[in-house]
Amino acid sequence: MAGVIITALIIGLSGYFGTVSWPALLDAVLRTTYRLALSYGVALLVGVSVALLVGWSRFADALFPVFDILQNIPSFALIPLFIYFLGYGDLMIILFAVSSIVWPILFAVLSAIKSVHNDLNDAATIFGATGFRRIVSYLAPLSYPAILTGSIVGIAIGWESVIGAEIIANASGFGAFIKNASASGIDQASVAGMFAILIIVFVVNRLVWAPLLAESARRYAE
Amino acid sequence: MPNSMATHADSALVLSRVSAHFDDERKRDAAALEDISFSVPAGAFVSVIGPSGAGKSTLMRVILGLMPHASGTIVRNFSRSAMVFQNYALFPWLTALDNAAFGLKMGGMPRQEREKIAREKLKEVGLEHLADHYPAALSGGQRQRVGLARALAISPDLLILDEPFSNLDTITAEALKTDLLKIWRAYGMTVLMVNHLIPDAIELSDQIIVMNAHPGRIEKVLAVDLPRPRDARGAPFFKEVDELTEIIRSVS
Repeated sequence: MAGVIITALIIGLSGYFGTVSWPALLDAVLRTTYRLALSYGVALLVGVSVALLVGWSRFADALFPVFDILQNIPSFALIPLFIYFLGYGDLMIILFAVSSIVWPILFAVLSAIKSVHNDLNDAATIFGATGFRRIVSYLAPLSYPAILTGSIVGIAIGWESVIGAEIIANASGFGAFIKNASASGIDQASVAGMFAILIIVFVVNRLVWAPLLAESARRYAE
Repeated sequence: MPNSMATHADSALVLSRVSAHFDDERKRDAAALEDISFSVPAGAFVSVIGPSGAGKSTLMRVILGLMPHASGTIVRNFSRSAMVFQNYALFPWLTALDNAAFGLKMGGMPRQEREKIAREKLKEVGLEHLADHYPAALSGGQRQRVGLARALAISPDLLILDEPFSNLDTITAEALKTDLLKIWRAYGMTVLMVNHLIPDAIELSDQIIVMNAHPGRIEKVLAVDLPRPRDARGAPFFKEVDELTEIIRSVS
């Protein structure tokens, strides 16, 4: 019985998606994923470094509201600026995505550093985690759970930014793919693409973030 | 105050007329200190007791230089200080062994050497078998022992304990107290302990500093002259407890 249903489903779906150009879709999705991965890498590096340096310095309290204002600028309002300086290629899309992914990471880390119990800060100082060593041996490991949660939020925003920029710039990638597909009336291609991205998000969450979160919750539990 | 008359030469710590206050609104819960003067003889076990709001923890932070004081002088006649915290303040991302070795690592000691020392200290506090456990997997008493091992590892000549027993159940606290006395006798370091239990203070201390609140100030400095080891069930012991209880009642 189940076999019949699955077979029927496959036949039905392959009929519905018959017009989709799978190699083109695969290429588009992979290109978008690649851009997102690069953007996330850069945003992680920049966000964590800046947050650690600011959290380590005496200016954390002063800079927090500044970051808050910067973060609140709608990132798509800045896209003409990115296009003006960087054109319509990979570099523009990646840096644009970085500018939106970086904030949740930066804020998560900065908040973690600001909200840590005073005693733990004192313990770090008393046992010698001072100067630059404080960043490496204390603030960075302390921020690990925040880096994880910031990354998860950042990547969710990153999908939007990369795809949005691709649609606007009409560059290659999934954004451009669905734009062209809907323009030529092949909605099935857009639907197939969304499923492809859902699968990527699901797999990455299950295989990467869920185990990392579980491990960090276990270790950092009070 | 006979003990505060001790000369600077044999004192590990001398505070004279130290005041501290906070102009930061958010640190309101940290109590201010007013006109604090006392000295701690080198190698002595000194307890600081008093109600909450008396600034006992603030005083410890000022002594360690973690917090500035507004006026007065502090003479620090010790070369290395370490602290044990009420909330343990262990680093959750490090194992018991790495927590114990943290101070040595920051001091630049090579891994093998510092792990050997950290393991020795964990053994001294009876936790050698849990060296690879993270703090989250340890009980309160075990965590406090890791905190003690972390402090001992850097060979402090002044050990500050901020209410080390108050998060522990009675049995665990008693066991830790016995070990603490043993360690103090073996190492001979100066110990300054914040506490709120009168019998504990009398059982452990050479000298008891009684503080009061709003603002944090010293009411009295008492010497405890009972011979060691102390019998916490004998009549002389209870007499001391009564006296101290009476003093605290009269000032609060």
